[in-house]
Amino acid sequence: MTELIRLTGISKVLKGQKEPRTILDGVDLTVRAGESVAIVGRSGSGKSTLLSVLGLFDRPDSGTYLLEDRDISRLPERHAAQLRSSHFGFVFQRFFLLKHLTAAQNVAMALINGQGWQPRRERKARVMRALEQVGIEHLARNRPAKMSGGEQQRVAIARALVREPRILLADEPTGALDTETGSIVIDALQEATTRGCALILVTHDRDHAARMGRILDLQAGVLSERTLSPAGGPTMVLPQIGGPAA
Amino acid sequence: MMRLSGKLRSAMIIGGQGIRARKLRTLLSMVSLFLGVLAVVVVQAGAGIAERLQLADLELQVGKDGTKALYLPSVTGAGQAVVDTVNGRTDAVGLLTTSAVIGEPQVRPINEGGSPFDQNWGGSSQICDNTGKCYDPNAGRPQGQAIELRITALTGDVRDFRPYRPRSGQWLDFSTTPMLAPRLVLNEEAAKGFERYHVPAEMRVNGANADMTPQFIGVVKDGDSQPHAYVRLDELTNWMPLSRLTDPNSGYSETQVVMAGSTPVEPVLIAKLKGLGAPDVAVETINSRKEMKEQLNLLRMIFLAMAGLVLVIGAAGVLNVGLATVGERVEEFALRRAVGTPRLVLAGIVLAETLLTGLFTAGAAIGVSVAALKAASILLGPSEPFLQGVEFPWSAGVSGVIAGLVAGVLGGFIPAIRAAGIPIATVMRA
Repeated sequence: MTELIRLTGISKVLKGQKEPRTILDGVDLTVRAGESVAIVGRSGSGKSTLLSVLGLFDRPDSGTYLLEDRDISRLPERHAAQLRSSHFGFVFQRFFLLKHLTAAQNVAMALINGQGWQPRRERKARVMRALEQVGIEHLARNRPAKMSGGEQQRVAIARALVREPRILLADEPTGALDTETGSIVIDALQEATTRGCALILVTHDRDHAARMGRILDLQAGVLSERTLSPAGGPTMVLPQIGGPAA
Repeated sequence: MMRLSGKLRSAMIIGGQGIRARKLRTLLSMVSLFLGVLAVVVVQAGAGIAERLQLADLELQVGKDGTKALYLPSVTGAGQAVVDTVNGRTDAVGLLTTSAVIGEPQVRPINEGGSPFDQNWGGSSQICDNTGKCYDPNAGRPQGQAIELRITALTGDVRDFRPYRPRSGQWLDFSTTPMLAPRLVLNEEAAKGFERYHVPAEMRVNGANADMTPQFIGVVKDGDSQPHAYVRLDELTNWMPLSRLTDPNSGYSETQVVMAGSTPVEPVLIAKLKGLGAPDVAVETINSRKEMKEQLNLLRMIFLAMAGLVLVIGAAGVLNVGLATVGERVEEFALRRAVGTPRLVLAGIVLAETLLTGLFTAGAAIGVSVAALKAASILLGPSEPFLQGVEFPWSAGVSGVIAGLVAGVLGGFIPAIRAAGIPIATVMRA
């Protein structure tokens, strides 16, 4: 599988407090096309910061970030915005749907972002295709207020998928959903990996993490690979990190 | 057609969505901006209309800029000197004005004193000679069917200096043999009087040897609100000596010479008048259009400054609403950045919203102004002649659009910068 992401020695220190706090400490990570990776860890362990660095929301203080063998560690914001548009799709815990827009318009938001221009017909076709992928094309004209939480999150996933990203970053996408609905959402996310998209999922849910190809544990800014024992038994931490799933 | 760039299109589409989503807020922004834009439109429209009305008539009344005007001093023989000097010339024309009455003899005219027909100046007219002695020329006479007007006898075609606008008929022809029945060209007010009142065709001019039968050959617009008629000097002097027409003691007469900027007539005439004993001969160069324009511009600037102040207050309202809106939309802007929207486009979205608001406001202000002017023209036009047929100057519309856009930029600039600076991590921490 093609290597998409390679992080080497990524560190991030939170400044502006009495004492600087290390959030990410020499993180190494490799993600390949079509791979699904779960990042688990306690609250405050740096999961969201890692996702911010991966999604080009934030820059690392040190280390190297290679995206398709291109060093993007110190990328100017203008180019970072281009890459976010062309390579990444984002799903957040809160759905962040704009309530005054329909489901289709919310999805189209990722296409009307100032990065190139598509004719209305082409845009509409892509939006409908994305909604179909998550199974809610019949809700295209509905506004968020008339949709359930699971449906709203699937609209958010469609928004993330509409530009056919290479990497899907999901930050606690099931955090606001019940177990059954959360499972449907994870299904929709995993579906994307069958089309060659890499999925990086930050989650607290053991069951959802277990459905990913790899599980990475972030503790105090240090990333390590682990396997989860069935039914919540003791965890075995593997020494090797960053490689593809065994 | 130049295609809009993707960034601009995106900003316009999202800006339009934002306006639709916040209709009430947009309306409130428009209300705060409306008075400012309206003030700019009204000032510009008012100044445009005033300028057009004032300047158009000014040229007719006092002459084109650059024309020289000489008012004849009160010395005996001055009139003859003028006629001898300018007769047959095209670079200088003598205008000898006096009073005339057309209609029934020995009656008090309908418009005594030569007043406009829709305005009653009231009382009897008084004529004063240069010794200060005044009298009522119509004392003891009954009211009758007669019209009093000013009559100007011309030595040549004056339209090179005062471009009277033809309304009907023809202008005086100076190339033909003078006729015994003087041919008159009326101004619009005089024509109105003769259309309204049917009076006998008998004309009396103060100092004439006998009454004349005039012929009306045309109507012109001369910018004069009083009834006025123009006649060839040689047709009038068939009936009265030149000395009576230019008699400074008659109380009626006024003689003027208008001439080109550089003509040999000027020094010759001045020398002749000085030879007749005129102590001081003043020649004035007409510059009234320029002066009037400067005055109007000054007034326009003062009013525009006041309108600008109202506009700034309106823009502050838009700014206030814009800042509040950006504060409420932090997550939306962070999310848009997350999906790849550049900072520039985010700023563009906010600016597009305020610019569109400014444009809508300008449209409303222009619409209200056009409607108000139309209504004023229809309702008040009959009693206020300056409102008759007046049209909205579209330069004022352009000013309104510019004012709306400027207010949009002023009101949207800071919120746009704020929006562009919202960190994406906002969505991560939410």
